[in-house]
Amino acid sequence: MGKKILLVEDEEIMISLLERKLSQEGYEILVARDGAEGLEVMKKTKLDLILLDIIMPRMGGFEVMEEMNKDKELKKIPVIIISNSGQPVELDRAQKLGAKDWLIKTEFDPKEVLDKVVKQIGK
Amino acid sequence: MKKNLKGELEILSQHLEDLTDYTKSLWQFLPLALCSLSPRGLILEVNQAFETLSLWPISEISGKPLNSILSEKETSEIIDQTLKKKSLSNQETNLLTKKGEEIAVAAYSRVREDREGNIIGFFLALVDIRESKKFRGELEQRVNEKTRELREKMEELEKTKTSLLNILEDVEEARRKAEEERDKTQAIITNFADGLLVFDKGNNLTLINPQVEVFFDIKSEDLIGRPIFELSTFPTLRPLINLIGEEIKGVFRKELLIKENLTLEVSTIPMISGEERLGTLVTLRDVTREKMIERMKTEFVSLAAHQLRTPLSAIKWTLRMLLDGDLGAITEEQRDFIEKTYKSNERMTGLINDLLDVTRIEEGRYLYKPTLTNIEPIVQFVINSYKEEIKRKNLKLEFKKPKEKLPEVKVDVEKIRLALDNLLSNAIRYTPTDGEITVSLRLAKKEIEFSVKDTGVGIPKDQQIRVFTKFFRGANVIRLETEGSGLGLFIAKNIIEAHGGRIWFKSEEGKGSTFFFTLPIKKEFEKFLREF
Repeated sequence: MGKKILLVEDEEIMISLLERKLSQEGYEILVARDGAEGLEVMKKTKLDLILLDIIMPRMGGFEVMEEMNKDKELKKIPVIIISNSGQPVELDRAQKLGAKDWLIKTEFDPKEVLDKVVKQIGK
Repeated sequence: MKKNLKGELEILSQHLEDLTDYTKSLWQFLPLALCSLSPRGLILEVNQAFETLSLWPISEISGKPLNSILSEKETSEIIDQTLKKKSLSNQETNLLTKKGEEIAVAAYSRVREDREGNIIGFFLALVDIRESKKFRGELEQRVNEKTRELREKMEELEKTKTSLLNILEDVEEARRKAEEERDKTQAIITNFADGLLVFDKGNNLTLINPQVEVFFDIKSEDLIGRPIFELSTFPTLRPLINLIGEEIKGVFRKELLIKENLTLEVSTIPMISGEERLGTLVTLRDVTREKMIERMKTEFVSLAAHQLRTPLSAIKWTLRMLLDGDLGAITEEQRDFIEKTYKSNERMTGLINDLLDVTRIEEGRYLYKPTLTNIEPIVQFVINSYKEEIKRKNLKLEFKKPKEKLPEVKVDVEKIRLALDNLLSNAIRYTPTDGEITVSLRLAKKEIEFSVKDTGVGIPKDQQIRVFTKFFRGANVIRLETEGSGLGLFIAKNIIEAHGGRIWFKSEEGKGSTFFFTLPIKKEFEKFLREF
């Protein structure tokens, strides 16, 4: 079994693309379409990494991290932020909340996402 | 008896002699000019006073007719009247003296009669009336003069009265006009859409219009006449007074947030007549709506740009995965098309990023966490990113580095990189193949000066004034290359100025352009930095 990555993202095409790219490399991908759903998955499944979008319906990325920080176990899971805007203020906040890395969708591509994932948890 | 009679006669003649002497003495003594005349007007005798007045001695005048020394006309009048009425008084006539001088006299006369009542002659007295006549003449003259003066005065007064009436009419007309003007001005001030406050030269409030009352929720009667420093006791007015100061400094179009739904644009205008300062006019323009529209516009662009980024990212990622073979093998032709599409998409992303930068500049939240750093590596980094492009166009690029190590500057590295990138990409883009580009960095007084010189197409003279405005693109450049947002230099200018630097250029169409900017090295520049 490959390492488990939770992708929390509301954009269907992004989900499809990342799922394809990462599973190709042998990772097991779980998908949540908003923050609340993501938290539920985290509580049920032991994860190796979380790829987290910021702006989502119901619960956004920052709130998810705030919730994770309240839980001893969830706090340990590395998080990579995948952001749409890349505003310095946003990135700053993500770092303070404990995000390991971040990337801006328009500036990066799936290959680079893979590189960042490998950097965090290896193959 | 005879002897007695003779004695009585002697006594009588003695008495008569005494009486004659008495009469003669009195005659001679009287200061009144007297003469005795025959009934026909011949002079019989004159007294001393007569001789003195007329200068005629008795010897020369005796026996002469009266009209030889008095006016002919009055003489016959005097004689006739005297004979008829037996006396006459105060008949004015002229006496001709021996020297030929005429003397004004008043004649008085009385007849002499014998016992039977026959007229035997008459006395004539002459009174010198020269003095009184002169006095009377003078009096008359003075009266005449005074009368004339009075008449003149009256005429003058009449004239004055007329002109006064004219003046009054003019004044009335002027007053009416002034009132009309005042009413007009009042109507303008009252109905003016902007709030107006007028202060006198002592900075006392003299006038406000109803708009001001509405803006600040205050009543005119509570404020008029008060000096400016007292106005800050009204809480709603305090922000305005704080802005313009108690000395009412020059303010031009400063925005002031009064309350939730009210933003005013404040300007102060000194009112000057000739050399004299009459006071200050403070205008308040309600820009709440403009601010709202501006904010909505910025928000719209920001939102639109953000919304565009998501599909652009999806396209980018899909194309990338196709190109990387993640979605299966593709033919060379497919690869070629997809690569071109990928580039178009990247350009679109760049454009959207520019728009987002502009909206952030307009929202005033742009610079982020400036750090103290060396500028040279940043310049080198930007140059390196264009290596391939420079090679492809066979451009000669020289980087003139500073002789000594430059002091560090406090900058938002990402933004400075963007500014440098915008300047350098313009130089490369608009310089034809085989051209030259010179980048230089040097220390100039208390600032670092960067410049990039090219041998490109230059900027037409008539368009140079608009170079740093939003969406500007040179007419010659549009012909050359249709792409370009026209935002690069606008963004660069805002970045440099937010750091407290200056940006400018020199350019000649067909020969090339040089763009310069400076960054302050003194610690002072920190106050320019706006962090958000």
